[in-house]
Amino acid sequence: MSTQDQHGRKRPAARIPRFRAPRLATTGGFVAALALTAALATPLAPAAQQARADDGKKVLTVAVAQSVDSLSPFLATRLVSTSILRLTYEYLTNYDPKDAHAVPGLATEWKPSADKLTWTYKIRSDATWSDGEKVTAEDAAWTFNKMMTDANAATANGSFVTNFKKVTAPSPTELVIELDKPQATMTSLDVPIVPKHVWEKVGDFSKFNNDKDFPVVGSGPYILKDYEPDSYVRLEANKKFWRGAPEFDELVFKYYKDGDAAVAALQKGEVSFVSNLTPAQADSLEGQDDIKVNDAPGRRFLALAVNPGARAKDGERFGDGHESLLDQRVRQALFLAVDRETLIDKVYQGHAVEGEGYIPPRYSTYYWKPSADQKLAHDPAEAARLLDEAGYQKNSEGKRVGKDGKPITYRVLCHATDPNDKAIGQYLKEWWGELGIGMDLQCLDNVSDPWLAGTYDLAFDGWSVSPDPESVLFLHTCDALPATPEDTGATDNFICDKKYDDLYTRQHAEYDPAKRADLVKQAVSRLYDTGYMNVMAYPNAVEAYRTDQIASITTMPEGAGNIYGQDGYWSWWSATPADSGGSSDGGGSAGVITGVVVGVVLLAGVGGFLAMRRRATAEDRE
Amino acid sequence: MTTEASPPAAPAGPRALARQRRRRAAVRFWRQYRTHRAGLVGLAALALFALLALTAPLTVGSDVAGVTDAPGRPMESPSAEFPLGTDRFGRDLLGLLVWGSRVSLLVGLLAAVLSVVIGALVGITAGHYKGMYATVMMRVTDWFLVMPALVLAIALATVLPRSLGTVILAIGVTSWPTTARLVRAQTLAVESRPYIERAKALGAGHVHIMTRHVLPNVMPLVLAQTTLMVSGSILTEATLAFLGLGDPTVVSWGGMLQDAREAGAVSAGDWWYLVPPGIAIAGVALTFTLCGRAVESVLNPRLGVAR
Repeated sequence: MSTQDQHGRKRPAARIPRFRAPRLATTGGFVAALALTAALATPLAPAAQQARADDGKKVLTVAVAQSVDSLSPFLATRLVSTSILRLTYEYLTNYDPKDAHAVPGLATEWKPSADKLTWTYKIRSDATWSDGEKVTAEDAAWTFNKMMTDANAATANGSFVTNFKKVTAPSPTELVIELDKPQATMTSLDVPIVPKHVWEKVGDFSKFNNDKDFPVVGSGPYILKDYEPDSYVRLEANKKFWRGAPEFDELVFKYYKDGDAAVAALQKGEVSFVSNLTPAQADSLEGQDDIKVNDAPGRRFLALAVNPGARAKDGERFGDGHESLLDQRVRQALFLAVDRETLIDKVYQGHAVEGEGYIPPRYSTYYWKPSADQKLAHDPAEAARLLDEAGYQKNSEGKRVGKDGKPITYRVLCHATDPNDKAIGQYLKEWWGELGIGMDLQCLDNVSDPWLAGTYDLAFDGWSVSPDPESVLFLHTCDALPATPEDTGATDNFICDKKYDDLYTRQHAEYDPAKRADLVKQAVSRLYDTGYMNVMAYPNAVEAYRTDQIASITTMPEGAGNIYGQDGYWSWWSATPADSGGSSDGGGSAGVITGVVVGVVLLAGVGGFLAMRRRATAEDRE
Repeated sequence: MTTEASPPAAPAGPRALARQRRRRAAVRFWRQYRTHRAGLVGLAALALFALLALTAPLTVGSDVAGVTDAPGRPMESPSAEFPLGTDRFGRDLLGLLVWGSRVSLLVGLLAAVLSVVIGALVGITAGHYKGMYATVMMRVTDWFLVMPALVLAIALATVLPRSLGTVILAIGVTSWPTTARLVRAQTLAVESRPYIERAKALGAGHVHIMTRHVLPNVMPLVLAQTTLMVSGSILTEATLAFLGLGDPTVVSWGGMLQDAREAGAVSAGDWWYLVPPGIAIAGVALTFTLCGRAVESVLNPRLGVAR
């Protein structure tokens, strides 16, 4: 799952603002509102509130904010969706939590032929679907064949099968994949294997979201039981899971669109785990009883993506990206003006690492950083020089003018749901302002429309990178461009660079790990020089969980790693419930009860008062 | 007011007469306004807020909103150097509070004016033309009246590009129906008076009647309504900014609250980030309400105060 989109760029749902009374409430109204709030607190607190619910079930509740794009393994690209799919469908292989080398999943062993063009996987015989059927090689073969023959089924993970010639299952425990060319990702095929007997009944794969019939038939450590958009996703432990059943009986992803609300829920014990903490939240949670803060290097990067002139595979250009950005000097100048150290220090307050190459330092095999003379370090004077050289001079008002004689103002797409985008945007506005370049920060709930139409100049962009960088590298190849302007391609921001493509193709076919790593680094280096993807930061995974509800949980990598959004199901599969679970529920429900009682008393008081007043005025009237 | 017969004055031109009458009306207005203590308090507080906002370029300067050269560390607690602490960028919150008053007041005033202008236009024309036109206009008004204004404003602010103009527009076009109804009622009352009939008999056209006779008579009502509308508009502006629908690069009180929430100040307990803008919003809204009520009770003929 390399390419989960953290922000949900593809199809983000509009955020739902809470109602705020627009006028000063009168005293009576205010009291009534208070009482109402208190009363509302009851249905808002679900049964699965603590690690131990009333019926003795051990429930692990995780606070999430990102909307699910789809629960179909063939469509889902967002981090929350792919994390859920990791839990519900087993893959051929998995990544070891310690060092991310390939470990058995559905396949127990695998071996290539001498020419490395035929791969044979041995499928385990002890795995079953949650409806009781056996998992066979036929299921895996069907999944891959579907993706190879139906373009709609190749939306999410198509890059893995473009090079497949033929996939067959000679026996229930043997899967054979024949390739056109060698492919380096054969032991990291991040493709959920689906049950053939369920999915062959599906008609249109571009429309089927797998969210109607529950429980969803799967083979992973958890079974998808229930899903309500932007409300919750409920999973039940798969007692028959071949690696061993998880210790929690239920796993619930509960929606908190507001970060502070999620933190408050964690403090009260309503949820066991919260991710994406702000520095202030992490600082305040640090040192609180029964709460552990996990601050570890993340697998994400945050970049400033440039619109290089949107185009389709058929060569047709569309969108209206600023023509000055076609000049490499301009792109580099914009990045030279960005002081990454300040961003790390002020915006992330140290909870991030300065961005350089496209792959985060956590993946040491592929991590590349620019040499001293290649690096586009913070240098506003050099940036100004480059812009002058490119022919974008300042006019009498100190604004740089484009070739059309108008002052340059770039539209920068930002995710309205991401506070860091907005904060960094304010810095960029001032830094570029000093260069003489205007900026229009367009923070939208749904950035995908202008993004796919190419009607932007720059954009905040971020992806989660997995141990095998294949998919994130594929995003910037010419092959990923949409077929026509009307189509949606796998492409991130319409990059199509011949040199990069060449390096990508070579690494894709390279089996020697050292040589492949070298080619990947060259590709990343090329991407850096083009100035299309300017990585500003690698944000840390800042998360917190309740130690009185979760006794232990695996981070990935084990030493210092993230819990939410791993390259595998290790965290939620390995989590063990704490014995003292429920110690926090007393306070929570007592608080709710007090609130309800106070609310009822206040309501009664106000009601009585109003009734008396009415009677009084009625008498006055008569 | 124009309806009251002015006492016969020394021979003078009609313009001088009108000027005298207006001066007398203003003096009478002030005399009555003075009797409302809450109105006076509101007026004094309003003057203070206006002074703070107008002199902000001299006292704090626009540099206070700059993030790149912010003087402090992010999220500092109050100290001698920063009496209200610093925000997530390390900017001085006291300075931001003063600077933010400009946007909050500007948006509040402009949105209120826009709303009242639309309301008055619809109200007067609907009251004057009657018939089909009035029916249609009033049904449109009813439709806007039953629409939850905040939801409509949120929808508008989401669809349009994020800027101050959008916020003003969103508030203005959603809050006019009450004004329209009020003004229409007053227009109907005025138009039933005999002197309108007389003006018509003398050949006065629609525009003449509406601008020369109806408008001056509904003006007091409109003024009072504007003053009252400002506090609502400021609150709605803050609400929209708090919900993240304002321009994120502009400092306003609602925007400060939104910043605080996004930075996690609520769960971190950083009250100095949350409380001052909240109090400022409540304070300004209160002063406008106090002034508006006082103006209303002096001017609104329906409230029938000491004549």
